[in-house]
Amino acid sequence: MTTKSNFKRALPPAQQSRQHVLDSLRTTQLLDSKAVLPAELINTILDYLPVPDMFRFARTSKRMQEMVYDDTRWIQRLKTMGCWNDIEARQRFEEAMRKKMEAQRAKDEEARNADAGPNSSVNGIAGGSEGERKTSVTLFDAGLEEEMQRKSVDRKVRPRATTLDKGFDDMTLSSPSNVSARPQVPPLDPNIALKILSRARSIRGMARQEYGKIYGALAPFYFDLARSRSHTDPVLFRTYRDPEQQAQMLAQLQTFAKSDSAQGWHQREEKLETMIGIFENAVLREFEQGFETKDLDGRMKKYAHVLVTLNGGAAGVDSYIHNHPLMLDKEKLGNPADCLRHAGPGHISSRPSHDFFKGLAISLNDEAAIIDRVFPSSIDVLLPFVDRVGEDIISEYITSLFDEAHDASIEIYLKAVAGIYEQALQFAISLKPTKGSKPNFKEDVMHIVSRCFEPHIDLYLQEELDFFKRKSAAEVEVWEKRLTDEEQSTETFFMSNVSRQAAKKDFLTSFKKVVMMPVNVLPTIGGSSKPAPAALGMNGDALNTPSRSSTPIPGERSTSPRPLEAPTTELAAKAAIMNSRLEGIRSLFSIEVALNLIHTAKSSLERAARFVRLGGQSGEEAKEQCENIFLALLQILGGRHIKPGFDKAVNHLSEYKPREVADHSKQGVAPLVAFLELVNVGDLIQQMVDVFYLQELVAANLTDRDDFLSPACKEKKKFEQMLDERVAAGLNKGIDVLMDEVEFLCGTTQLPTDFNPTPGADGTVEMLDIGPSHTASKVVDIVSSHTSMLVGSTDKNVLDVFNQEVGLRLFTALCKHLKRQRISVDGAIKLISDMNAYNTYIASLRNKSLTQYFTALRELSQIYLIAPDHAKDIATIIADSDRYHGIFRAEEVYEFAERRADWYQLKREVERQMYGVGCAVM
Amino acid sequence: MASSSATEAKNFVMLTTSDNADIKVEREVAERSILIKNLLEDLGGESGEAIPIPNVNEAVMKKVLEWCEQHRKDPPASQDDDSDSRKKSTDIDEWDQKFMQVDQEMLFEIILAANYLDIKALLDVGCKTVANMIKGKSPDEIRKTFNIQNDFTPEEEDQIRRENEWAEDR
Repeated sequence: MTTKSNFKRALPPAQQSRQHVLDSLRTTQLLDSKAVLPAELINTILDYLPVPDMFRFARTSKRMQEMVYDDTRWIQRLKTMGCWNDIEARQRFEEAMRKKMEAQRAKDEEARNADAGPNSSVNGIAGGSEGERKTSVTLFDAGLEEEMQRKSVDRKVRPRATTLDKGFDDMTLSSPSNVSARPQVPPLDPNIALKILSRARSIRGMARQEYGKIYGALAPFYFDLARSRSHTDPVLFRTYRDPEQQAQMLAQLQTFAKSDSAQGWHQREEKLETMIGIFENAVLREFEQGFETKDLDGRMKKYAHVLVTLNGGAAGVDSYIHNHPLMLDKEKLGNPADCLRHAGPGHISSRPSHDFFKGLAISLNDEAAIIDRVFPSSIDVLLPFVDRVGEDIISEYITSLFDEAHDASIEIYLKAVAGIYEQALQFAISLKPTKGSKPNFKEDVMHIVSRCFEPHIDLYLQEELDFFKRKSAAEVEVWEKRLTDEEQSTETFFMSNVSRQAAKKDFLTSFKKVVMMPVNVLPTIGGSSKPAPAALGMNGDALNTPSRSSTPIPGERSTSPRPLEAPTTELAAKAAIMNSRLEGIRSLFSIEVALNLIHTAKSSLERAARFVRLGGQSGEEAKEQCENIFLALLQILGGRHIKPGFDKAVNHLSEYKPREVADHSKQGVAPLVAFLELVNVGDLIQQMVDVFYLQELVAANLTDRDDFLSPACKEKKKFEQMLDERVAAGLNKGIDVLMDEVEFLCGTTQLPTDFNPTPGADGTVEMLDIGPSHTASKVVDIVSSHTSMLVGSTDKNVLDVFNQEVGLRLFTALCKHLKRQRISVDGAIKLISDMNAYNTYIASLRNKSLTQYFTALRELSQIYLIAPDHAKDIATIIADSDRYHGIFRAEEVYEFAERRADWYQLKREVERQMYGVGCAVM
Repeated sequence: MASSSATEAKNFVMLTTSDNADIKVEREVAERSILIKNLLEDLGGESGEAIPIPNVNEAVMKKVLEWCEQHRKDPPASQDDDSDSRKKSTDIDEWDQKFMQVDQEMLFEIILAANYLDIKALLDVGCKTVANMIKGKSPDEIRKTFNIQNDFTPEEEDQIRRENEWAEDR
């Protein structure tokens, strides 16, 4: 629009590039003789000019006009007021471009059809910069637009003169010196002026006009206000009588003031601020009076809206919150000491605190309703209110409660912190948002509640860890003490290994169930679960003859009728059953103790874990502390409980001397059985720890499972490693012991007549039974019972190694044993059946190389079966190393052959055959 | 800069103006000009050579240095110059007002020098002074003051006036 009247111009200069304008300016000398100020300096100077002077400057020359009219200058001003939207501007511009193209096309067509009137060129230009409002613009519409624009300019001019005597007759002009300029009336309807800022449009090339509208509406009030001496003076307060309109206008002026960069803006803005301050105070007084008289829908509502319109209503909200009765008599809500007073020693009653939060929630929800009535929905009053409540009421309440609880006892303190936190979260959830609340109201409230707890968290977490450490250490100590009180003699019991794996699985399932069960923080864990296993544990102890069979199990079940009530007690019962079964290793370590430790850890963890939700630093700390609790659990469980147990068991094993034990009637090597049971239990505990780790730490997101650097992960690995090491060391010893026992058995129970039966009266041997000898079956029994005990309790690899070792050692032991015997042809049958028995057992281990050894042994034993008159065959068999898979050399087989009862009769014959054959071969 | 006060020679720099006059000036004062400051930093500050200032003559340079002397302790200008145009447009202080009471030619020379030497605060003061000169003047008076050729027809000029009627009076 810059060159609306300049018909001779082909293109409006505003559409030329800015660079071009400046270039031409530089070449133009402002003054021939004087120094020339470059364009950018003139630009800067213009920034300091008041708006009217700017346009007077524009009237000096075309160049100056271009500079003043430059759109960016006005866009800048609109931007400082927040009235410019780049996106909107771009959309409008693109739309305008499209329309311009359409218009151009239409124009071309029209030009072809008819003579191009002088009007069309004007319209073309106007359409380019102005015709944005209509969606489909034809040439004539653009012309219409132009027309409208002209009219609007005219309108702007005209009412200025008229309103002076029309709308503002009642105005008294105080300073006669300003008569000409001062009482300038807003050129627009006062009601339009009220909304002028929000009506501003973002149109490229039209920024000056848009600014002009705003300036025209607001500047008179603004400068008038800046000049006025008292608060009764300004025109504004006389033009607008309604406080809400006044507030609206003042708020607009405040924004408008931001675009005033001419000199003296500072003073003007200050003046405006003071005026607003005075106005705000007056409104606030009205508001407070309304509050006192409980005039909710009348005065309060009205002035709340005024305050919000003025500057967001922060002052009103402040005053509202500050003077609220909830803040003034907070004692009514409840006394924190009640929680401790109403509960027995060592407990905390959650009722009073629950009531406290409930009461608070109710009054806050009532408050939300009032806020909805009084305040406009554009501001959020409830949140600052809740914030204040959190700061003043909740914080105070919990601080004094926690202090008292801490003084009373640590355990109470821990329960109080966790419990109250839970209640506070419930409280936060129960709050209803108001209309003015933001969508993330819930989160904000959570945040407020969390903040109340933040100061307590450090102490709490520390205490939690200390408490856990103390408690579990005490538990282990108590158990150790009880152990030393009892005599050690009962330690050697053998439990039936019937369905051991099944029992373990069963136990683990219920353990998992319990671990996954949500903890009811305050009462249960500390209280009900603990006595149960303790009592049942006693029961298990009372059974003085833990029989080998499964009989005690039903008995146990009947003594614990509770298993179905709750998983906790079910677990406890199962623990007791396990315990009685594991009587044999009671002196070494106790699964019950382990279970208790894990329980304590669980309750501590769950208490601490809820603070992880706090997020931020406190959340991180809580997380860390949870890991620490887990670490402490592993250290105490592993280092102080399991490790000494294993060490003791290994010692027992190494001290075992089969020859010194009088009673061999039992089926196993007692210390080894104990040890193997121990391995079982150790594995069980390890699995428990694993389940615990997964459920409590990984599932609760307290630790990262894949983070191999995390202390919890490391400690768990260490724990498992410790366990493995102990098991390996024990097994090593165990094999020694087992073989000692095997050798002892072979040495003591094998009768010389077994393989060399004395012929009866008739010279024939009575074959009473063709089974393995007593010794062989015993050896097989003892070995197999021990190896099978390990199944399912250790790593498969460990088991394989163990079996292999056992098999090999058994093999050597048997060879040694065989060489001590004298075997007749008749006894050979017995021997072969012995060997078959061994072989069958070994085959059950499914270890290929072992099987070969024992097959070889079986083959070997056939040597004894050959009748003495077939010396040649004997020699062939001795020399046939393929027969033994290379396990026995001929010399060795020869040695075995020497054990034949009739060897001395055969020796010559066999040797002749052998060496004869041998020579022939060579 | 202040720390180097131990060595006397280092504290002074020599400036050569367009009319070949040498002016010896304290380095701290000269460094109010960002141009000179950057030059000195690039030179390493040790050369002791005179710095040529080809765009400024002696009289103007002296005037500029007078201002620098007065404002030597001012905090350095903030780098983000386009943050808010209002922040820099505080009122001219008394000393500067007096300082700017020079004839118009000199005023423009100072502004140009400040622009060339990159002394932001001085440039601002100069521009404000010019703005004050324009304020309240009619277009004719402005043309006269700044010697601007009027290339409008009276109708055109009146059109501009009417277009911006909203801004008139207050």
